[in-house]
Amino acid sequence: MYPGKLNQIIALFESLPDAEKRESLISYATAAMKQGPRDGEAFDLEDIRKDEECTDTVGVFLKVSPQRACAFRITLGSQVQTLTKAMTAILCKGLDGLTPEEIMEVPADFVPKIVGAELVRQRSQTVYYILTRMKGIARVWLNRERSAAPHGG
Amino acid sequence: MSEKSYAHPDALVTTEWVEGHLADPHVRIVESNEDILLYDTGHIQGAVHIDWRSDLQDQTIRDYITPQQFSALCERNGISNDTTVIFYGDKSNWWACYALWVFRLFGHTKVKIMDGGRDKWVAEGRHLTRAVPHFMHGHYTPLETRCDAEIRAFYDQALAQSRAGMSLIDVRSPAEFRGEVTHMPEYPQEGVLRGGHIPGAASVPWKMAVKDDSTFKGVNELRQIYEDEAGLQPGQDVVAYCRIGERSSHTWFVLTYLLGYKNVRNYDGSWTEWGNRVGAPIERG
Repeated sequence: MYPGKLNQIIALFESLPDAEKRESLISYATAAMKQGPRDGEAFDLEDIRKDEECTDTVGVFLKVSPQRACAFRITLGSQVQTLTKAMTAILCKGLDGLTPEEIMEVPADFVPKIVGAELVRQRSQTVYYILTRMKGIARVWLNRERSAAPHGG
Repeated sequence: MSEKSYAHPDALVTTEWVEGHLADPHVRIVESNEDILLYDTGHIQGAVHIDWRSDLQDQTIRDYITPQQFSALCERNGISNDTTVIFYGDKSNWWACYALWVFRLFGHTKVKIMDGGRDKWVAEGRHLTRAVPHFMHGHYTPLETRCDAEIRAFYDQALAQSRAGMSLIDVRSPAEFRGEVTHMPEYPQEGVLRGGHIPGAASVPWKMAVKDDSTFKGVNELRQIYEDEAGLQPGQDVVAYCRIGERSSHTWFVLTYLLGYKNVRNYDGSWTEWGNRVGAPIERG
């Protein structure tokens, strides 16, 4: 149902008691600050903006290999909530190597499995936002690919 | 303590004061945030975490916990009836003020806000720890009933306030007040069915009360905002509202403790109740 790496993360979280789940989310949130572009990296698409759906600016960077494997880098403003930071690191790891088409098909219903129902509330809905942004940039990449194809457009 | 001539200056403490009272056995420091995991990432040494949703609210009905549940919450956090509770948190102390207001619903009056909240503590480079404190259980005798009547307004009371032409303060953003948007900026998931404001309400966004570092403005500036510009007068009955009661708790704190108004109620049902309610009168623009 979910792509391989993401499925492994989901299975791990589902096996954890609540206290360890929170601890793992904190670890991922800390790791999120290291998901930005490295020196010298080049990307096919960059999308940096402050949307109304999130409390701070989020930058999404996409590189697609000749084998159509996606690699994401993401930058987060300091006001982004901790759960959103955690979801950023989880998604960068869990969706790494998928094709743009596969990215588009990732369902959002895994979020409560990772975060836990107690932590999903109206005021923390931005946990879904990062996946939306990643899908958005994958959609743009696909549209450009179609436009560039000999009979595309 | 504050030197800004507030009506109740003891209701505010500085970050320096808190740092000097970390080991004070008569003081309990409470962090309350919107960011549900922020406490887990690091907090003031000895601070306990009280969550507005899972700790203070009933988990089924939109209401608060019972006095017995409040007593149990306090006891497991090492809070007794005579403990002085210092609240701080993210978002310029929205949820700290909300938690303080809820504590007042249960008759706990030894309450204070750390001026500037979590952001100021962090900006000053003060120490945070991930160690969760464990305290001896407190001894808390609960009230028989919550003190809702004194500081909480319900729909019917807000409606009566409006019809009588009495003071209502809408602390949401100007666009929400005017009915141009049906959600708070940055929270589009929290929409309601109708936009606008309660007829007769004055627009005074909560943020007017704080400076850039999230500390409260001085009393003269506050009087200018709430009295000269919004028309409030000391001694009036005032009802404040926002969307779910957290931003209006902030304004309730300002009016009650900093300006010394004696009859301020927080309409915590706020716009998520009013804007969804069939037949509720609404003004736009």
